[in-house]
Amino acid sequence: MTVQVYAPDGATGPDPATLAPSPPVLSGLRIGVLDNTKPNAGLLLGQMASRLAERTGAIVAHTETKNAALAAPDQVLGRLTKEMVQVVLTGTAD
Amino acid sequence: MKQKPDTTHSQAGEPATIELADDRPETLLRHFEAQGWGDGLPMVAPTEDRVAAMLAGLGGGGSPDEVVATLPPRSGLATPRLIAINAVLAGCAPAQMPVLVAAVEALGHPRLNLRGVNATTHPVAPLVIVHGEAARLGGFNGGAGAFGPGNRANATTGRAVRLILNHVAGAAIGSGDASTQGGPAKYSYCVAENIEESPWGSLATSVDVVSRAHEPSDADGPAPVSAVTVHCGEAPHNVHDMESADPAAILNKVASTMASLGSNHGPISQAEFFVALCPEHAATCADAGWSRSDVAAYLFQRARLPAGEVRAAFALRAWAPWLNAVPDNELLPMTEHPDNIRIFVVGGPGKHSSVIPSWGMTRSVTVPVASNPGSKPDTAPPTDPPQGA
Repeated sequence: MTVQVYAPDGATGPDPATLAPSPPVLSGLRIGVLDNTKPNAGLLLGQMASRLAERTGAIVAHTETKNAALAAPDQVLGRLTKEMVQVVLTGTAD
Repeated sequence: MKQKPDTTHSQAGEPATIELADDRPETLLRHFEAQGWGDGLPMVAPTEDRVAAMLAGLGGGGSPDEVVATLPPRSGLATPRLIAINAVLAGCAPAQMPVLVAAVEALGHPRLNLRGVNATTHPVAPLVIVHGEAARLGGFNGGAGAFGPGNRANATTGRAVRLILNHVAGAAIGSGDASTQGGPAKYSYCVAENIEESPWGSLATSVDVVSRAHEPSDADGPAPVSAVTVHCGEAPHNVHDMESADPAAILNKVASTMASLGSNHGPISQAEFFVALCPEHAATCADAGWSRSDVAAYLFQRARLPAGEVRAAFALRAWAPWLNAVPDNELLPMTEHPDNIRIFVVGGPGKHSSVIPSWGMTRSVTVPVASNPGSKPDTAPPTDPPQGA
């Protein structure tokens, strides 16, 4: 005999934040690095930014740091905005 | 105003149903495993009758689909009905529902940082501490062996919290939970406070409790009779002292357990310690005239490591500014303030206490347990549905 049970996961709400659409062309844009301060994150992100700049003509404009376990504080985002950054490279986890 | 959980919807729809080929436990387990659900252990099928009986544990009133909390990273909408479904799966009794709903409300509080708790590589698990009348009504154990097996309320409430995290919050291993080794506390981690043998009353009535200390409007009212605290930390670390007759000797051993380079307290100074004293250790302290805050103050003073040693161990430090001024050759406290050391009483006869270090980037949350109009102290709590339901 079949049995009906509830699914245990339920509905989801809207994402608390969404990514901005990627720019079609990086040439001339200012790249910011948001280092989550995990080991090697700054090295990896910095190298990626440099390679991107070499290949596309973008400019590595500014680097900020944040705690990996928390959202970036408004002051950090404000400094990136102040530096007129249009693309931000960041990462999660280790 | 009390800070509310981050709810983005007021109501959620009734969860979907699934048709299983039969009612055997193996069939349910196989289906759940295929979906990436469950914790690997057998579960009770959440049929409509069982879920309705579980919801009755809330005593009626309110919508079963009202959002209690939005749980990251999945942004799952936790409702009483969804909590009841997972409670059935875990094997809870309906009388545990008020505690479980309060625990979910605490999990959704922004200060707890559930996104980080779920996502980290650390083995952190939410410890649910049940205070006051809710512990008695729900049948929770704060006495002998309270952190261990043998009590249905402790075991299944903690398990239901884990299932809610896996299913609703999306904290399944490999996707929402990056824990390197995991840990046994991730299966189930729930205990009652042993208020009957606490010489200082309930932790929930203490001004040290985060939700009361930082939300002054709540502190104006009477202390909650029933409450739940959720602290996201490691499994308990044992402190053994059979011979000491004075508080300092016992607490020196507690402090030694706290002062470790292996926990996140070295690099993160805001982190809270929960110290679960056994009744005999607590009595030794209280009989000597020590208050709860005296114990915390002493541990703050004694749980220290050489500042230079901690600096050398952690290149990345989230310390309160004043800690950065402590010279390398002086002792550094393992947390930035005595109020971060929460003292409560758990256990039965014997002389073993425990320290529960924090994950770090989280703060404990205490919320009152809603009174259940269907449960009075002298009446039996709601019970399980009949067999076969």
